This record gives sequence, structure tokens and C-alpha cells, in this order.
Amino acid sequence: MSIRGPLADADRAELRRALVAIVGDDGVLAEPADLRVYECDGYTLERSVPTLVVLPRTTDEVARVVCLAASAGIAFVPRGAGTGLSGGCLPAEAPLMIGTSRMRRIRMIDLPNRRVVAEAGVVNAMVSRAVRDAGLQYVPDPSSQNACTIGGNVAENSGGPHTLKYGVTTNHVLGVELVLPDGEVVELGDAIEETVGYDLTGVVCGSEGTFGIVTAATLRLAPLPEAVTTMLAVFETVAAATTTVSRIIAAGIVPAALEMMDRTIVAAVEAAYHAGFPTDAGAVLLIELDGPAAGLPELTTRVVDICRDAGARSVRSAADEAERAVLWKSRKRAFGAVGRLAPSYCTQDGVVPRTRLPEILARIERIGARHRLRIGNVFHAGDGNIHPIILFDERDREETTRVLAAGHEILEACIALGGSVTGEHGIGIEKIRELGLSFGVDDLAVMQRVRAAFDPARRANPGKIFPTGAACIEQRTPRRQAAM
Amino acid sequence: MSIVDILRSDGRVSIPDATTRDVAARRALAIAGVVPHALVTPSTRAALATCVRDAAAAGTAVVPLGLGAHRALGHRPARYDLALSTRALTRIVDYASADMTVTVESGVTVAALQGVLAREGQWLPVDPPLPEQTTVGGLIAADLAGPLATSQGRVRDLVIGTAMTTADGKEVRAGGRVVKNVAGYDLMKLMIGSLGTLAVVTEATFKVRPRPQTTRLLVLACADRPAALALASRLAELDEVALAITLLDDGDTSPTWQCLLGGVAADVDVVTTRIRAAARAASATVAYDEDGAAPAAAARLAVARDLSRTAADVVVRAATLRTRVVDLAAAMRASVDDGARVRARVDPRAATVTLALETADAGAAIARLRAVATGHGATLVVERWPDALAATIDVWSPLPPALPLMRRVKAALDPAGVLAPGRFVGRI
Repeated sequence: MSIRGPLADADRAELRRALVAIVGDDGVLAEPADLRVYECDGYTLERSVPTLVVLPRTTDEVARVVCLAASAGIAFVPRGAGTGLSGGCLPAEAPLMIGTSRMRRIRMIDLPNRRVVAEAGVVNAMVSRAVRDAGLQYVPDPSSQNACTIGGNVAENSGGPHTLKYGVTTNHVLGVELVLPDGEVVELGDAIEETVGYDLTGVVCGSEGTFGIVTAATLRLAPLPEAVTTMLAVFETVAAATTTVSRIIAAGIVPAALEMMDRTIVAAVEAAYHAGFPTDAGAVLLIELDGPAAGLPELTTRVVDICRDAGARSVRSAADEAERAVLWKSRKRAFGAVGRLAPSYCTQDGVVPRTRLPEILARIERIGARHRLRIGNVFHAGDGNIHPIILFDERDREETTRVLAAGHEILEACIALGGSVTGEHGIGIEKIRELGLSFGVDDLAVMQRVRAAFDPARRANPGKIFPTGAACIEQRTPRRQAAM
Repeated sequence: MSIVDILRSDGRVSIPDATTRDVAARRALAIAGVVPHALVTPSTRAALATCVRDAAAAGTAVVPLGLGAHRALGHRPARYDLALSTRALTRIVDYASADMTVTVESGVTVAALQGVLAREGQWLPVDPPLPEQTTVGGLIAADLAGPLATSQGRVRDLVIGTAMTTADGKEVRAGGRVVKNVAGYDLMKLMIGSLGTLAVVTEATFKVRPRPQTTRLLVLACADRPAALALASRLAELDEVALAITLLDDGDTSPTWQCLLGGVAADVDVVTTRIRAAARAASATVAYDEDGAAPAAAARLAVARDLSRTAADVVVRAATLRTRVVDLAAAMRASVDDGARVRARVDPRAATVTLALETADAGAAIARLRAVATGHGATLVVERWPDALAATIDVWSPLPPALPLMRRVKAALDPAGVLAPGRFVGRI
């Protein structure tokens, strides 16, 4: 029987001593004020303080920590930078949190073969920064790329605006170093493209820390595009903007990125960053085309024509790199700007087929009205990956209840339109209930069997993704609290 | 009639989902000399699930197949009672062309699927050998990445959802029909390249792409092998317009580079100029420069594509890092006896070398090629070998360090060893 709740004082003291012996005094956090920092990630509606946080520096230290936890039968939760948005690293049922923030080495850069081996705690943006002078990049670029880590990206199979043309994390990870929940270190995949055996790397991507802890990853680099055009198209209505998205895709054009912001978000972003967005517009599209230089003008013309046909008020291209940077900064930091609109906000993450965007946006508006909630939209339109942002005040208990209900209804609507309950944020703890909208009992049972091959005792990040069986909910399990 | 009854009965048995013990039909699906006791061709996914469930209950070993075109891949099955073909599962379930996704049953051939997609100006950017005989299920199970993979992504990058029948006869799903989705584990990845050892894929959803506006095939004829290999790194650096780049060295004529380009016309022109310049610098002649979709171009591409499925005693494919592929290709070629007929294909971007040999001593040739591959840090797959070697051959080398974990995955999904037992890496 594994220990999932908080530890008894004596056990906690003993575990702390043993951890200090492995990682040193400065690598173990045990003071309430320090632990408080780790009570949640970017999903703040639920919180739970870990009993202890350990910050190893090397794979060997991680392995020894995990071995120790295994021999004591203690469950653990891995954590990167805590920028996740589904409570994936909430220590819901695991007393021990293992943070990778001190594992920040890029172990190898192989420019000719376009490979990087980065430790789990390396910040996403640092990888591209390290190879930019050689004309290369690591493509997946979550909005939190200046904080989020490679380990967290692998766990969540993170996306980002530029995944439309280039794919998400799993399409760029060739191998991982994984510490299994029994402490064994395994190498999955390789720097070589065609590896031998089952594609375990592929199933570890997106497993949300339930297979063990990824301590390093072998990443594929891509050349920077020869040319880039970034356009801002302004529309009177959300419907005109989403129709444009569908038409661009249907025309056979695959932009590098195709992002939408509605009036609510544009207002917040403009107030925060002064990028020159029209605050009276219904919606704006940020459209980026990239590729070989010769053909780009033709593609640009076609996109501009599609926008105009769909009723765009204006379409302008960023004149230079500085203007492009401002547009992207505004988009990627949109979530930060939302803080100006309400004391709290909750970001949803759903997917619909791209042609159903007009419909899902209309449904979101109706759901917001029914629950008397303000909802802004900023999202990866080209992928059909919506991010409704529900504005509220978390001190208002009754309103918080309505936020949760509206979120659930939005995801039900995504499923009804043939989509998914999460495009890039993961199931975590937030969407355990919604996973059942996508999959039946048999589907989930097979997933659990695969998990058991990696983690038979279910000690790696328990209480995530799957509904927990009644037998596992012990009295010592901390009751998760909705933020008050 | 249950599977057990079928296997016990003699002669041809007819049940609603065509089952046959016809000798010719069974022999046509022999793997490394092992002939199955019966062939079942369910016409619905539900019937297929019932077959697997009954077979599992009876302790029968089932080898899932499409049309069997690629069944030489993998080890000889430890047991091969029943050949279970998906060839009758041929429905196009949902083609959302404006969303650029398509969902098909796994018995649809790649060629048939391309035909459907072409009507909307789209394609699934894969080029497996023998597309007329390759089902979608086979594409996935054998991970038949062709030369297009380096520009368009591998099979793993194109599959966004699957339905599959597990070893206990349940049909389950993973992924979905939208292009971005992280709900639940990515079990699609486990299916790709698993040779049917974990589950039987019955349906798959793919991302599809618009067909390139313009395509063009350039063929460069080189004076000799060293001259050809000298061009590899130059061609490997070409941008996304270069859809597929392969060197074909068939031993009869001079080695040729095939460069399939596609995209906006202006971009294709730029890359064409670059390739011509590179060819001039290397004293190669441009033997062909035409529309890549023309029948003559398609025929040329098919020769390289199908190389590994043409007559040969031994076919091997080695994979390495890009910077090592030229040395590897030269060393592998040099290791082969003068007496053997050799045809070779090199993909400088995927960093793979494929050799098809006609040789009297297959065992010795494989051993030498394996030693060369190992010495160059490459992996080696023996895609074809004489049946006589079946008991001893190592199809894959080196074995991956995570093999014990792979065995646990197999045991978790197919504890009784119902599906294609012994076929996979490490004879899983």
C-alpha cells in the first residue's frame, strides 16, 4: 500500500533527513512558507501544500530520491516551473514533490545533426536561444516559454502558436531519459531518427508525470525559416474572423501560426502593451506565414485576399522585426494582461474541428450569458484549439461555482462538435471528470494498463488524469480546496 | 461457429465473415515458412473484435495482417494459428476535407486513400513501398516511412487517433479526430511500428495536407559512387521545398539522385536552380527535369520507393546520424562481396541506407553488414532474409536498452501472447 496522504511528523522528519543526505540541506524545502509556493501551478482553483519539496541537481540524485520514496512506499509528484494550467503538478495525493528547477544543463548541442540534449529543468526558450546563432531553433513555443521547462513540456506534450505548421512537443522529442518510479533510469529513443522497438518516447510525451520523472530529453532542432511575414487582420465580428480561419485552412494554406483575440482580450492587451490594436474591433487575427522567401509574397497575397473577402476592416503586415516582436509579445502575454479585467480568471482549453470555430464561439457566448460570466477568447485558431478565459472573483464562492459549471459546459460543447477536452494543457486534476466525455471505461482501462507497465504501484503523480478508485482515497488524503 | 471449431474443422469453412482453410490462401500468407491454420477476413470491426476474443479464449495465436505485402518484416512468429486480415475493413469513415483530417478503416489501401484525397487536392504525405498493396493498418504497424518523411513527418507525426482491438477482444480508442489533442495517453504511438504485437488497429485518423501547388522531379546522374556521395550533404541542406531526396545506386547504371520538389512555383524554381548549381559543381548531369506528377516521374520514383520489396535475398536498412550517413553508405557497400548483385538507396536527411542483395551466402553478408552498422553507431533492421535463417537471425540490432520495459508493455496489453507472438524486437 503506498502512502498518498501527508506523512506523520516522525516519518516526515526521517524522510527529510534522508533527502538531505542525498541532495544537501539547500535541496530540501520543509518550511511552511517555502512549501506554500508549491501549492498549485497555473491552475489556481485547487491547491494542496506538499509535505516536502526536494530539488535534485542530477539524474543520479533524482534516481536516489525516487528509490528512497519507493522503499518507503511514498508517492511523488514531479514539477518543472509550475506553469501548467490543469493542476498537473498539484501534490494532490503525493506527499513528496520532486522539482527539476536545479537541473538546468544543456548537456549536448550537435549543430550538424540538429540535436540538443536538455535536462528537464532547462527553460524552453533557452534551447532556441542557445542555437539561434547557428540559424536553428527548437520549434514548440508555449506562451510560457520564458518560464516553462523542457521536462514539463514533455510531460504535458505542450503546444504553442507555432505548432500549426510544425507540430507539438511530441513531434520534436526523439528520446528521453526517464527515472521510473522504482528508481531505475531508462533511456528511451535516441538521437537517431529510426529507433528500435516500441515508441515509448511517444507515449511518455503527454503522460503528465504518471510514468516517472523525465530528467532529460533529446530534441530535434529545425532551421529558422528563410522569411517570415506577420500580419494583423482586424474584423468587426468574431464570426468574420473565425470564418476567415476556416477559409485559410480550406484554401490549402498552412500558416506557421494563426491566432485569434476577441474584443475583451484586445482591450486588455492594448491597455497593457500598447501594440496599436483597435479596441473597437470584434476580433483580430495574428497570421504568420514563413518558409522560403521567393514564394512568400504570393502566399501573403492570397491570405490578404481571403481576409478582405471575409470582411476584414484592415490587414497590415509587421514592417520589421521590432513590430513583429510587439505583436507576438502582446499575444503571448495576453494571459498576463487579463489580470486588469478581473481579480481572477480561469483559462479553458478545448479543441474543435477548425470549421466549427464559428459555432463553438457562439456557444461559448451563450454559456457565458447563461451563467452571467464574462468570457474573453484568445486562442490557436488554426488548430481549432480554443482558450476561453472566464473572468471572475475567486473570493465569491457562488460565482466560482458558476465558473466551474460554465467550463464544463464549454468542454461538453467541444465534444459535441467532434473535438477534445484538451488540446495542450492536459487533464491534470482539472479535467479528470471531463476525460470521460472523450473516452469510455474500456479505453481508460487500456491506458491504465500501459501506465502499470511503467508504474505498477501508482506512485508517480497519483490522482491525475484518471478517476481515482475509491480504495485509494484514504482518510489521510488532503481534501483539495477550491480557492477561496 | 467459434474459432476453435474453425481450426478443428477440415477444408474450407464458410461463416459470415469469410474464414478459409484453403491451402493456397493460407500459403500466400506464410511468414518465414510458417503457414497459418486459417485465414479470417472480418468485414466489420465488431466481427474482428469477436474473432480476437474467441481466439484469445481458445489460446490461439493471431497474426494481424492487411494484404500481407510487408509480412517479411519481423521475426518468424513463435506461433501462427490464425491470419487475421483487415482487408475487408475498407470504409472511409469520415473525410473532413476542410478540416484536413480523414478517418478510415485500417483495410483501406494507401493508394485508395490517396485517390479519395486527390479529389479535394489533398494527400497523405507518405510514400510506403507498394502503396496498392499497403493498407493503412500496415502503414502504421510496420511504420513504413518513405523518403517523404523527412519533409512531411513520419507516420507517428500524421496519425491523430486510432481505434484498435486489444488482445482480449475489446475495441478501444485513443486520440481523436482533431489535430491537437492531449486527452489521455498517446496510445497511437505504441501502435506505430509494433507489427501488430500490442493490438489490432482497426481505424485511424490522419492529418492530411494540401497537395503542393507545383511539383518537380530532378534526376542527377553521377559519374560514380564517390561523386554521388559527395553531393549528399549539399542536397540534405535544401529547405522544405525538397520533399524527398534519395540516392539510387542499382549497380547497373550510374548512381542517380532523385530530388522531388514541391510547393509554390517560385520556391520550386529557386531550389531547382540551387540543385542544378550543385550538380554542375559535382560534374553530375541533369538526366531528368519534369513535372513530379507526370507518369514518367512517378515511375522513376516508384523504382526507388519499392527497392526494398523487389527480388532480393537480403534487404537491410541502417539508420544513423546525418553526419555519418555517407561514411556508413560507403562502408556498407564495400562490405558486400563482388559477386553479389547490390542495389542501394540512401536518404541523406533521414540518414538511412537501404541495401537489397542477391547473394549466395546471406548469413555471411548480414553478419558483415551488421558489423559495419554497429561500427558506425547505426541501427540495423534486416527487412528480408532467407527462411533458413529464421531461427537464429536478429532482425534488429542493437537491441534497445529499454527492452525489459518494452516487454512489460507487451505483457500489460497482451499477457497471454495472443497477438503476433515472437514477431517483434527481442522476439516479443
